[in-house]
Amino acid sequence: MISKYRVIRAVKATLIHIFLLTVTITCLFPLFWMARSALMSNKTIFTDKSLIPAEIHFDNFVKAWTQGQFGMYSLNSLIYTFSVVIGIVVISSLAAYAFSRLEFPGKNFFFYMFVMAMMIPLPGSFVPLTVLMTKLGFINSSYPFVRQLGYVLCMINVGLSLSILLLKTFFDKMPPDLEDAARIDGCSKLGIWRHVALPLARPAIAVIVIFNALNVWNEYILAMLLLNDIPNHPTIMPIQRGLMVFQGTYLADYPLLMAGLTIAAVPIILVYLLMQKHIIKGLSSGAVVG
Amino acid sequence: MKGKLLLVIGFCALATIIWSCQSCGPAVPPNKNMITVWHWMTDRHDAFNELAKRYQAETGVEVVFELYAPSDVYSQKIIAAAQAHILPDIFGILDKKAVFATFIESGFIANLTEEFQKDEAAWEKSLFPKALSANRFEEGNVYNIKPGIYGVPIDVTNIQMLYNKKLLEKAGVVRAPQTFDEFLAATEALNRVGVSGLVSGWGELWMADCFASNYAFNIMGEDKVMNTFRGKVPYTDPEWIEVFRIFDILRQKGALVEGIVTKANKYAEQDFALGRAAFAFNGSWCVNVYHEMNPDLEYGIILPPKYNTSLPMRIWGGAGSSFVVNSASEKQDKAVAFLKWLSAKEQQAYLSQETLNLPANRYALTDIPAVLSEFARAMDATTHPTIWPLNEEPLVIEAFDKGIQSIIIGEKTPEQVAQDVQNVKEREMAKKQKRK
Repeated sequence: MISKYRVIRAVKATLIHIFLLTVTITCLFPLFWMARSALMSNKTIFTDKSLIPAEIHFDNFVKAWTQGQFGMYSLNSLIYTFSVVIGIVVISSLAAYAFSRLEFPGKNFFFYMFVMAMMIPLPGSFVPLTVLMTKLGFINSSYPFVRQLGYVLCMINVGLSLSILLLKTFFDKMPPDLEDAARIDGCSKLGIWRHVALPLARPAIAVIVIFNALNVWNEYILAMLLLNDIPNHPTIMPIQRGLMVFQGTYLADYPLLMAGLTIAAVPIILVYLLMQKHIIKGLSSGAVVG
Repeated sequence: MKGKLLLVIGFCALATIIWSCQSCGPAVPPNKNMITVWHWMTDRHDAFNELAKRYQAETGVEVVFELYAPSDVYSQKIIAAAQAHILPDIFGILDKKAVFATFIESGFIANLTEEFQKDEAAWEKSLFPKALSANRFEEGNVYNIKPGIYGVPIDVTNIQMLYNKKLLEKAGVVRAPQTFDEFLAATEALNRVGVSGLVSGWGELWMADCFASNYAFNIMGEDKVMNTFRGKVPYTDPEWIEVFRIFDILRQKGALVEGIVTKANKYAEQDFALGRAAFAFNGSWCVNVYHEMNPDLEYGIILPPKYNTSLPMRIWGGAGSSFVVNSASEKQDKAVAFLKWLSAKEQQAYLSQETLNLPANRYALTDIPAVLSEFARAMDATTHPTIWPLNEEPLVIEAFDKGIQSIIIGEKTPEQVAQDVQNVKEREMAKKQKRK
């Protein structure tokens, strides 16, 4: 005879699995729908409601890649994402370590300044940012690299507040004994940051990397504001600009747009899969350090 | 895992170096023979680039079209660029006329009146007057802007009624309705064969507002509408109640597709393009949309059927997109010359054929697709809130539009809505008095 305990456990497990399956389907279905719509034509996309389209157009991906100039845009976005994420990780870890472990005048004031920066909505900073970047010579520079550097600096600035907050919380819980041991071994302050704090903060850094990589990869508005292409020179716009080609003023080319979105989503899904282990650790084990 | 990560980082680093080397190339010297245009019209970008090539071949002046879309991001960019004094030679203002006026007042936009009036106003005469109205500031305008023309329309637009020829034929309707009664008879015939009547994006309130405004002009005439805005005629006036009643009649007769009050225009466009409704109330931009969705769709265009046959039907329309010239630009002359060329007959016809928008140049009408000509014929019947001497208070408009929705879903009667709108109007007028 099956015990009551086993029945309850089975029911609980079933309910949990049903719930998890529902959440999974809710998360994956939009991605599936995007990929499915990418295989349809402009006419069938409004009429064919089946899960697997009757007519399949793989050429949409080729068209999206060529018409949307995804090659150059993808390379630009890859570089922006890489530079910004590296910049944020280096600067925020240094700043967070200083806020957490060093004593200096105005420490709390500067920290709260950073935290408060998170509360300023991005559109509120559009005009001042454009004026500032123009005055610094980043927006209308004759050198494309300088224009791109301006955008990278702004994006680093956008991601700093949250990253500093996350890492400071992490460093606050780091046992002081570890630092003392490093100091006895002859480590400087920078050495402790490099050899003790950073390796321990790997899960938190993984979270910062994925959050910011997603943010930069999907960013469009700031790029539109700060980046101006130089005539007769390869574009400096990010990948989201390529998607705009398929969205007319009154009409969107949905199949190509969906194909473009699928192409744009692939790298970020890869980054997520690559860092999945660290991200889960970072989110779940924030309390256990050292 | 660590190896894979290092590989990815290494690849990215290598790509950065290659990219930086390519980007770090020599500085690009400023080209005095080049003008820059910032625009938001994704669907016209290729056509613009083609025209730019032709212009360079003809004149030697290079025109660079830079696309910044969608339109809300473009507007943000223009405002930020104005404050940073980095506006291009030619750009567009997508905001309300008040924002347009602010740009002129701040000295960002050149006054083109003199150019328009050269050679016995040849340039001005070539364009639809209604298209110029959006760019014109009349004597004594409320914004205190020096009277003149400050922008160049590159296309025009208007909102009319469309009918599906095959569906009307299926219902035995032999001719497109000209009056409101004929329209109701047609929708009844359509319902009998299982076809829905009118579809429109009334989930976007301004479209329902536009439809109501058309009938208000038709029922009581422009002067009475303006007097209502001035507070001299109440919304409880029998003729306003008649305007609201139109929606009640449409509801009672089953002339509207189900869910019209929440329908966004893009879904309404799908319904009409795919033959789910026989009539659509939509703008001339729909020609492009329907062509993409269903190239085989056969449809005709009519003015919204008259309710009052003794007064003309006025529809919303005017300049679709316009360009202005940066008054601080060192290449102002070149910018004006290019805009003159762009708004000339040949270029306008080319733009119209390629992008299926109505040309702003009246002489280009002979060279455009037939369905667009049908739309263009009604340009003289157009009007628009941006060119009215005054506009209604926003809160009154909101109450008006929501009232229409209440009537369509059968929640309120035309009389109740009229009273509600009048209450808001009185409240707003009292507030205005207090402020004075």
